[in-house]
Amino acid sequence: MAGMNAILLLLVIFASSLLCSRSGTAQSLSEKGSDPLEASRFHWFVGRAGEGQTPFRRGSQSLEEIDFFERHVRPIFVAHCQECHGAETQWGSLRVDSRAALLRGGDHGPAIIPGEAGGSRLVTAIRRQGDLQMPPEEALREDQIEAIVQWIDRGAAWPEAPSQNNNRADLLRSHWAFQPITRPAIPDVTEPLWVRNPIDAFVLARLERVSLSPAPEADRRTLIRRLFFDLTGMPPSAQAVEAFVADPAPGAEERWVERLLASPEYAQHWGRLWLDVARYSDTKGYVYGREEKSFIHAHVYRDWVIDAFARDLPYDQFLRLQLAADHLTEPGSPDRAAMGYLTLGRRFLGVSHDIIDDRIDVVSRGMMGLTVGCARCHDHKYDPISTAEYYSLYGVFLNSAEQLERIEQTGHAADISGAWNEEHEKRQRAFAAALQEARTVAAQRMRERIDDYFFAQTEIEKYPQEGFDQILSTSDLIPNLVRRLQAYLVRAREQGDRRFVVWHAYASIPPDQFTLQAARVWESLRQLPEERIHPRMASFFAAAPPASFADVATAYGNLFAEVHRRSQEQQSVATAQENSSEEAYAAEPAFRSSADEELRDVLYGTESACTIPNELMYTIEGLFDSDTCNKLWNLQNEIDRWVLQPASPDKFVISLRDRDQEYHSQIFRRGNPALRGAVVPQQMLAAASPHADDDAARALGVGSGRLALADQIARSTNPLTARVWVNRIWKQHFGEGLVRTPSDFGLRAEEPSHRELLDWLASYLIDSGWSTQSLHRLIVQSSTYRQSGRGRHAPEVRQHGDAIDPENRWLWYKRPYRLSFEALRDSMLVVSGELDRQYGGRAGNLFPADGEPPRRTLYAAIDRQFVPSVLRMFDYANPDLHAPQRSETTVPQQSLFALNHPFVARRAQHLVAEIQSQQRESLREDQGVPGLRVAEELFRRLLQRSPTAEETEAMIAFVEAPTVDVSTVIRPGAAAWSYGYGGLEISQTGNDQADSAVSSRVMVTSWNPIPHFTGSAWQGGSALPDGVLGWVQLTDQGGHPGNDLQHASIRRWTAPRDMIIEIQSRAEHEHEVGDGVRCSIVHSSGAEHSSGAEHSAGDGRSGPQETLVSARVHNRRWEWKHDGIPVKAGETLDFVVDIFEVLNTDQYLWHVLIRQRDGGDPNAAISSDPTGQWDSQLDFVGPQSQRLDRLEQLAQVLMISNEAIFID
Amino acid sequence: MTQRFPSTTARRTMLQQCGLGLGGLGLASLLCDGRAQGDVAEGGGSGPLAARSPHFPARAKRIIHFFLNGGPSHVDTFDPKPLLTKYAGQPLSTTLTTERKTGAAFPSPFKFRRYGESGLEISEIFSRTAQFADDIAVVRSMHAAVPNHEPSLMLMNCGDSVQPRPSVGAWLMYGLGSENENLPGFIAMCPGGYPIKDAENWQAGFLPGAYQGTFIDPQHRELERLIENIRSGHASLSDQRKQLDLLARLNSLSASSPEDPRLESRIESFELAYRMQTEAAEAFDLSQEPQAIREAYGDHVHGRQTLIARRLLERGVRYLQLWHGAGQPWDNHAQIEANHRKLAAEIDQPIAALIQDLKQRGMFDETLILWGGEFGRTPTVELGSDGKEQLGRDHNHYGFSVWMAGGGIRGGVAYGATDEFGFKAVENPTSVHDLHATMLYLMGLDHKRLTYRYAGRDFRLTDVHGRVIHDIIA
Repeated sequence: MAGMNAILLLLVIFASSLLCSRSGTAQSLSEKGSDPLEASRFHWFVGRAGEGQTPFRRGSQSLEEIDFFERHVRPIFVAHCQECHGAETQWGSLRVDSRAALLRGGDHGPAIIPGEAGGSRLVTAIRRQGDLQMPPEEALREDQIEAIVQWIDRGAAWPEAPSQNNNRADLLRSHWAFQPITRPAIPDVTEPLWVRNPIDAFVLARLERVSLSPAPEADRRTLIRRLFFDLTGMPPSAQAVEAFVADPAPGAEERWVERLLASPEYAQHWGRLWLDVARYSDTKGYVYGREEKSFIHAHVYRDWVIDAFARDLPYDQFLRLQLAADHLTEPGSPDRAAMGYLTLGRRFLGVSHDIIDDRIDVVSRGMMGLTVGCARCHDHKYDPISTAEYYSLYGVFLNSAEQLERIEQTGHAADISGAWNEEHEKRQRAFAAALQEARTVAAQRMRERIDDYFFAQTEIEKYPQEGFDQILSTSDLIPNLVRRLQAYLVRAREQGDRRFVVWHAYASIPPDQFTLQAARVWESLRQLPEERIHPRMASFFAAAPPASFADVATAYGNLFAEVHRRSQEQQSVATAQENSSEEAYAAEPAFRSSADEELRDVLYGTESACTIPNELMYTIEGLFDSDTCNKLWNLQNEIDRWVLQPASPDKFVISLRDRDQEYHSQIFRRGNPALRGAVVPQQMLAAASPHADDDAARALGVGSGRLALADQIARSTNPLTARVWVNRIWKQHFGEGLVRTPSDFGLRAEEPSHRELLDWLASYLIDSGWSTQSLHRLIVQSSTYRQSGRGRHAPEVRQHGDAIDPENRWLWYKRPYRLSFEALRDSMLVVSGELDRQYGGRAGNLFPADGEPPRRTLYAAIDRQFVPSVLRMFDYANPDLHAPQRSETTVPQQSLFALNHPFVARRAQHLVAEIQSQQRESLREDQGVPGLRVAEELFRRLLQRSPTAEETEAMIAFVEAPTVDVSTVIRPGAAAWSYGYGGLEISQTGNDQADSAVSSRVMVTSWNPIPHFTGSAWQGGSALPDGVLGWVQLTDQGGHPGNDLQHASIRRWTAPRDMIIEIQSRAEHEHEVGDGVRCSIVHSSGAEHSSGAEHSAGDGRSGPQETLVSARVHNRRWEWKHDGIPVKAGETLDFVVDIFEVLNTDQYLWHVLIRQRDGGDPNAAISSDPTGQWDSQLDFVGPQSQRLDRLEQLAQVLMISNEAIFID
Repeated sequence: MTQRFPSTTARRTMLQQCGLGLGGLGLASLLCDGRAQGDVAEGGGSGPLAARSPHFPARAKRIIHFFLNGGPSHVDTFDPKPLLTKYAGQPLSTTLTTERKTGAAFPSPFKFRRYGESGLEISEIFSRTAQFADDIAVVRSMHAAVPNHEPSLMLMNCGDSVQPRPSVGAWLMYGLGSENENLPGFIAMCPGGYPIKDAENWQAGFLPGAYQGTFIDPQHRELERLIENIRSGHASLSDQRKQLDLLARLNSLSASSPEDPRLESRIESFELAYRMQTEAAEAFDLSQEPQAIREAYGDHVHGRQTLIARRLLERGVRYLQLWHGAGQPWDNHAQIEANHRKLAAEIDQPIAALIQDLKQRGMFDETLILWGGEFGRTPTVELGSDGKEQLGRDHNHYGFSVWMAGGGIRGGVAYGATDEFGFKAVENPTSVHDLHATMLYLMGLDHKRLTYRYAGRDFRLTDVHGRVIHDIIA
């Protein structure tokens, strides 16, 4: 043993000499030293040795002193300091609003030393003697400085004041939302006839107090429309409305309510509300290129939510599963999908603090209506939520790791085919093998340099935090591993680990006092019994007292490096025979002595900082060097992309599980992970607990605490959960909640408009077994809900109401609301008869280039990185953040969508076509259907009522107004162009030097229109290349030739009249690879054909053709001009592009401008193309059939009318 | 001019006219109780985009921001460091941690000269811009948080490195509205596609979606591609006029809720949309510009983009961001000499032309021009994974330059400084929050009063930071 000590001593001496060349004082240590919490922990370790060391005396608190403070000092603090160092803001973590705060100080240590003004940082700062000069803008006056100096020298008296804690307790006791939920008595009212259920009693009682009466009941059409839109987000059919209006028997309405609640559309519509709460998105947000951006499990969670509404899953259970399905269900249960609530947030480029912050936010605001996020950096300004409580919740998620799980099939997925599974498993195996190797290598690499990792703890500020991404090579220390060791050491400190008691004892000494205090610290360490201090450490430091903390770190580093070397030696003997796994390797004792084995455990144990946990890439990517990280992500992507294929079965979810080893959550001062403070236990928020005063009752127990958190949130005694949910439901029915801030029930929230009603509903929810559907029933059957709009009040009542309750807080009428974007779009598909009611499944693109998928809008893929601007303009919930409620703004971009987006126009076309065909059938004649009949039917279908005489008149006047020639389009020149492909005959292929103007004579032997339009391009089909037509494509800018000379792309211009034209042409091929393309302009004169593209399919050109020009364009721009070509009406100019010789990178740009040079035919010029100018780019259009006729235009108007968009 | 509403009722009426349902609680409640939560003054007009008065008289009415995405090198553009030449090839005494490894001091391959009466030193690659040196205030002591593009773009554009927050333009729209409701008030142009971080750069965050920036790819020339849904593919303007007349008539016949301002504002928004179709077309039509002007800006995508920008500024667009191009063009880890020279050549002429043009039109004094990227570059040479010099520079967030000119800016000034090699801001270190506070100040907004309540907090663009740089204000 003595020999070993001698070696270690030598090592230390060697290390110390090394240290002289390293710059090694650690800021993080000075912080630790100044933290009273840390100091107290130090006492815990070393007994009473630290007491009596306080370097200052307590000042006397005489009245005189306090008077001096109040008159001369406090005013200075208030006027000059507290804006930045007060309750609201704490620059440098410093507060200047209590004596304790000044003693505690900020990032730079204590601000004052009572009795020693000269040594107080506050004084050097206000005297502007050091780096820190305060206040920053303007120095204090001399007399002010003098007052502060005197005050400190005299002991820094500060009167006792009610502490923050008292204040906090008051708030917890007094704020309405933190009080237990009661079941208030149902009030008496003077008009009991109006009261259908208790909701009405509460509402009417309130109205009576302000002498307001409710609005008359809405008419039956309004009621049934309201029920449909509220419960399903879709309109009723005209027939349903008629039947309902004709059936006033009691019970008709209840039957409808039950039918609607049982419909899948109800679950979809209300499920979407929860998806807003859950900040749902199908993608992770911005990710580095190495990572697949789509979540593999988003739609599985979405479908789970919808299904939960469909089966009226009790709300408490709904919440529990979303927080802790891993504890509540068996592996493989479909309910495991519920945890998407936590795992579908933005990935924040993998920065764990932000991912956890997002989870805290979605849980606290989404489930409890508390804004806990503020407390990340400082105690909540308004609500009794402390920073410590934030980090208590942080601990819950810090100790929850993500896991990929297979679940049972959810029903609508395809059968699992053996081939699919096989490939999937193959990819998984490839990843698992690479990960295993990477973990082993990374762990070994860390052990090899364990001395450096220990030393790094003394200069931890040199290792950037997550979010400061470095390209790391295998020779670098990995910053996240440095911090992993840091966390390991914190855990060791908390557990009183005897191996590290010396480390922590020395670490608690402020660096500048090390020499002064080291001996004293050792003195107390020396007395510790062996179970409190590891014998190796005891003997080593007895022999080699450290001169600085760097010495301590070096000694520890060398000791463990030595442990590693010895272990390797032993191991190489042991593993010569068998190739053991890493786990076995770790478990197998290498040393005979248990004390030695205890040291080896630091490097090889399952909890060792060197052991890379077996977790998903999300959480461990930062533990590898950059190349390894990229390689692993690529393999992970192989798996993800396989699962993401449309045909894959839906059986994967990402859930959470409790980590095997517990990490201690430390407060980050000012939210800065570099400034770690006290360790806090996992605990429920006091404000959301009936046990605000009882820490033990709020403790979240074992593991991550997530299960206990779920239980404490989803239980009937939680003061917030039921209230918050009831309010969300109410808000959806009435447009506004009883509390107008649905996710903030804190002190800054307005009082509920009907506090007792809120409580009554909350207790009703709980008593009904947390049945959301019972709540709907109660609400929609109340008289309150059945009221008509404000307009049905008599004018004088309206006036009175407007005067005393302009915002309708007392609910004296039912306020109409604007359809959400989803309801708007879904309604259009419903009325046009196109809606595809497929329930669940993978998400699709909302606005693909070709056509619109007729599924409900909630099945559109939401990429948080690219939310279509149409959605933003319609106040869609921002998927980046938990969305308490949607705005309801009106901006012209919404109107542009309604007027111009093809989606709306196509629904109008479809609807009119359907009505016409039905009516034609019923008329049994081939003649056209009279416009009036179609118009009336349109009105009936779209607004579910018959038009009034005036409305009919207006519609007829519109329909009968002369239609502008359908061929007259917005761009008059567009009609001259058609888009096709065809065969070529090339002759005279002469020299094709890059610049030669005419290298070929090109004949167009066939021309066919390209069949498919994507919205921006003509091509063979929705995919490019097309199975038949290959790569051929024409866009406004240019296009791509087909694969061979029989499929050249041909943009055809047909002369509308006789004239002389000039041509300007500019083509460009922008790639070096390949051999470019051949661009030719062919003028066909005298061919017999009309300009209608559809009729010219397959026409071979018999008439004379002239190649005006032909050129090979390869990686260059080619310009050509002609200023006088006579053309006759019907003649064509073909702008032909073929692949030249090789099909390779043949995308081209070609802009053609044709101008009429002479006057031409004056009559023709007026009707179609007054400008006499054709521009291949500007005139580019899709199929002509997109134009709406009058009836279709009418349908569009009705679809976007206020009556269709605002639900009374 | 600020119109204050005399009573809560009138104020409420105004609020309703804003077209914000009470569901739009953020802005709505804010307007109801301006003093308590951030002072957005009410001006005339209606709608969330209507022009609003600033807190105090503004120096600038609009901002145009040249965003050199990727991170232009300050030591090669506006922050000359002759010592780099002296120590060329030698390791620096302090090399700060950046994204990648860097080696020895790497002098600028470009010549710097003094320009104007102020003698401001500017690199040859911006020699045309340099003709306006006396109008320019360079802030040479900018610093950001980390040496990575994504967080730094977010910091520069939205005031927070990581959390989703509204962009500067969205804040301006929220605070000031748009001067022309027929055009989007906040436009981001980027030739060829998105910069990295995509639309997050001009997000509305928790502000209403209407405040988000409108993205335009100026590589397209067709209006439909420039502004979404700006034209109908299925009805002519005259048909649409008839449709709108019918719509108005039917809306008035069926109005079940008398005096509901939301219904009114929706009717009005259709009229606005109708007008936008023609006005927007006009704004983007460069053929209306004289040949000489077009030539001055240059006939290439950056020239066109800048000229379109001027036409938009003229028409009341509040905040325009001109990105250099898709991806991160200025990110020259290697071969910085050729790359920076080429990139600068693409925008030097348009910037100079814009300043000249704005001056001639009397718009210069009311237009704030901002030039910069998300960070700067290291004064040391980047090393490849093989340890070889790449003749480029790594990211540097410790110190970099931006410059401003026009609206309220004192020209011919260099504010702050980096160390002798240009690694770190040492004199008057200026945070991105300070820059934002200054921009808002010039626009007449107090960055501490422009707040929005969200998730229990009153949020600001500058969070809890920010200090107006008065030294560069005229």
